[in-house]
Amino acid sequence: MRHCYGSFTRRELLAGSALAAGAWAARRVEAAVPAPAAPSSPVSIAKVGGYDEDLVAHFERMFDQLGGLGSRVRGKTVAMKLNLAGAAGRGRRLGVPAGRSHWVHPNVVAALTTVFGKLGAKRVRLLESTFRRNYGVPLEDTMLNDGWDVSAIQNAASIVEFEDTNGLGTGKQYSRMKVNTRRPFIFPSFDLNHSYEDCDFFVSVAKMKNHEELGITLSMKNLFGITPELLYGAAPIPEGASRSVRERVFHYGQAQPPEGVPAEIDPKSSRYEGWRMPRLLTDICGARPIDLAVLDGIEALMGGESPGIPGTKLGKPQLLIVGQNCVCTDAVAMAAMGYNPRASRNEKPFILVKAGHFHPQEQVIPESGTHAYSDNTVMTGEEAGIGTADLSKIDIRGTPLKNAVYSYEEHRKGEAPA
Amino acid sequence: MTELLRRTFGKSVALTCLLIGFSPMRGEDPERWVPARWSGGPLELAQRSKDKAGAPEGAVREAIANWYRADTLDLLKGTPINCLLVTFAAAPDGETEVAQRRLVKEYVRLAHERRLAVLGMVHAGADLAGLAAAANEAGLDGLALDGDFPHSAAADVETAMRATNSAAVVIPLAQEAAAARLSAASLVSVAGVQPNAKDLADEGIRAGPSSEPWIESNIWLVRSFRFGGARRTVWIDHPAGPGSTGDYVRCVADAAAAGGRWIVALDDQLRARLYRNDAEGLAAWRAIANYLNFAEEHAGWRSFAPFGNLGIIFDTKSEYPEISQEYLNLVARRQVPYKVIARNELTSASLDGLRAALAVDLAPAAEQERKLLQAFAERGGLVIAGPSWGGAPADNQYEETPLGKGRVTVYKDEPPDPEEVARDMLELLDQDLMGMTAFNVPSVLTYAAADEGGARVLVQLLNYAADPFDQRITIRLNGTYRKARLFTPENPPVDLDVRNTPDGRTQASAPGLAVWGALLFDH
Repeated sequence: MRHCYGSFTRRELLAGSALAAGAWAARRVEAAVPAPAAPSSPVSIAKVGGYDEDLVAHFERMFDQLGGLGSRVRGKTVAMKLNLAGAAGRGRRLGVPAGRSHWVHPNVVAALTTVFGKLGAKRVRLLESTFRRNYGVPLEDTMLNDGWDVSAIQNAASIVEFEDTNGLGTGKQYSRMKVNTRRPFIFPSFDLNHSYEDCDFFVSVAKMKNHEELGITLSMKNLFGITPELLYGAAPIPEGASRSVRERVFHYGQAQPPEGVPAEIDPKSSRYEGWRMPRLLTDICGARPIDLAVLDGIEALMGGESPGIPGTKLGKPQLLIVGQNCVCTDAVAMAAMGYNPRASRNEKPFILVKAGHFHPQEQVIPESGTHAYSDNTVMTGEEAGIGTADLSKIDIRGTPLKNAVYSYEEHRKGEAPA
Repeated sequence: MTELLRRTFGKSVALTCLLIGFSPMRGEDPERWVPARWSGGPLELAQRSKDKAGAPEGAVREAIANWYRADTLDLLKGTPINCLLVTFAAAPDGETEVAQRRLVKEYVRLAHERRLAVLGMVHAGADLAGLAAAANEAGLDGLALDGDFPHSAAADVETAMRATNSAAVVIPLAQEAAAARLSAASLVSVAGVQPNAKDLADEGIRAGPSSEPWIESNIWLVRSFRFGGARRTVWIDHPAGPGSTGDYVRCVADAAAAGGRWIVALDDQLRARLYRNDAEGLAAWRAIANYLNFAEEHAGWRSFAPFGNLGIIFDTKSEYPEISQEYLNLVARRQVPYKVIARNELTSASLDGLRAALAVDLAPAAEQERKLLQAFAERGGLVIAGPSWGGAPADNQYEETPLGKGRVTVYKDEPPDPEEVARDMLELLDQDLMGMTAFNVPSVLTYAAADEGGARVLVQLLNYAADPFDQRITIRLNGTYRKARLFTPENPPVDLDVRNTPDGRTQASAPGLAVWGALLFDH
């Protein structure tokens, strides 16, 4: 799976592109020189009335506001990691398709595919890992399960491909991708489906929603789904460990990856998911840098990442947010959701209420703490040098932030002004 | 009430009904009866006054007290309802009972003029001794025992009826399914559930991201009486509402999808509205009639046999009938098409054409059953069994081992958890093996059946959510079909675009669903 471009491998190119600043910063850290500020990149916000609006026009305008993407996309393979949480099932709120609650909406995906096609992308590849034990069901079927018009998406660009990345897919081996940040927190590298390496421009298309254990689900969290369960779950399950691969290996660290797959840097580090996961997500974003973060906040679930969580509610923020730096984009999105992007574990949305019987006791309240919490993924991203979470350093274009704020907490509690 | 008829069904329909009368149902094959609970009269009021809720008041009281006026029969015009269950007997109450029987006798006469069958409802506590004579005197076509009676009551009453040379039927209402299955009656009334769908989160239950809404349905229940050569008439009995029109029509569709019938049971408020010709009430009644008509207009679909490559071996004499039934219920909930094979009908022939057999109900399998299933697996089939098969795993939920050209999956626990088994079906059976896949059906259940030659496959779709399902539903079937036509009670049939896939399957998408749709694939 080594594709060479001149004297560089694609992996080296990746390391040398979006995270050049981070990698450079890491070397500086090693040299005991104060770390430079994390990089910043413009973020565009658009108010969008609904999914029936001309989303192609919206994205074209937003991409222009970012300075244009044509040169990065033309003639290239664009891969989009879609946020289709719980993709194998039919879980959703009655009467509401997943695209309007916890999945990205098909019209958003179709519009993005169209725009990348218009910008001259050679190929658009749609990716997601579905939670199936019987791996091999086409990703298109997952989309049909939410009523998507798959044919329309297939026809939106010249070559559109789909791949379920929960295993090898069409690849023959996994791609080992090194974490290129100031310093990896949990894992030094990850083995991933080939599609995450075999692309020139990588887009995280996420829903702008909350998360039960992490406070927020945005473009960085969306990348959790790129870890292939078929590989990481291959090791024997320790007694008492979670049956869920992602919980067992990543959330709780109850098991290490199978032999031959990069293991944790420090298996004795905290096992509390509120500490681990933000750092792990940062590592993943360091291994597979996001070239473009797209957040679908036109309609979204508030209070959790899936409708099976009691207390969740549907919201209509009517927002699209895009940016070329995932930390900057997620920070702006947090502000638009009514949160402080630099919030600590003691602030909303990172003070958590976890369903007790659904979590191991030690994951509800950590030994070291007094309440359930998560650290802020955006801040760990900043700490790793991926991007800044400081709004004063982010150039926000399009709709002014003050006109975009839609408080998830107030709307969920029914306390938002009419 | 003529005005009521005209307003309800329109002038032309009302006139047609008056001219041609009704189908000659009365006294004929009960299989053709379309039943409705039609309680009323003084005995009904007296009976209810003993209930916790107490006697009804106001408009409801007036409607129930006077329900056996001739003009309530006009409500039935334009509907296929042809069998009324009227209040006939309850705990002895002297004059009230006499008055009730007099009232019923006249109502029966009027109903018979309209070729309607009438069954007398007998409430628990009624004096069964003189019942046969009283039923004959009233001209009833049968008796329906409603409530808790001694085990032998139905047989005793039937014997008494026969002793008077009466051919009237005796039907215990709302029986427990397991008991009803063991009876020899060709018509059974089974206690059902109010069909609906709920979000688990709204019930305060934390569900995983792929968890589905909780659906209550009777489709599997009807199917559990219709296997092999058995084609028993199944009435699903459960009280309605007070509910919306959607709730009512869902009751009709849910029972009818697999060939049963819901005993129409209107809530008191609706009956009061109908009694006073209230427009909203009449609109609801019209909608119910529309669904009943749709079911009867497509009575031919009842002869279609279940479609699918999975056979569920069902032990009708199971020691744990709730668990045995739950396999049928929950596998259907996962949209896995199956055929029911009664354990006592398990033969090599009954497995012909199948590719998988769920045999967890055989605990343990008898020697002959085991031989049959082993041979089935050796020929390439998949057998799914409980731990009594042998080779149960110590840790995993189940374990698969090859056997001949096929495989055997053995579960760890006895009995295997029906919820787990149902969920695992989606992993053990791939799309090709299942034969049919339904996409985007979170609040929808499917029931697939095929005509005798297999040239036509009917996939019925039922939406259990309170709101219409306005999203694209896609059905993919093994085989090549040229046409797909969507039938709904609300609209004329629509031909859908059919896509034949390179791997020999056919796919069609329905644009949405109010409550009930039937997608007919045709070669």
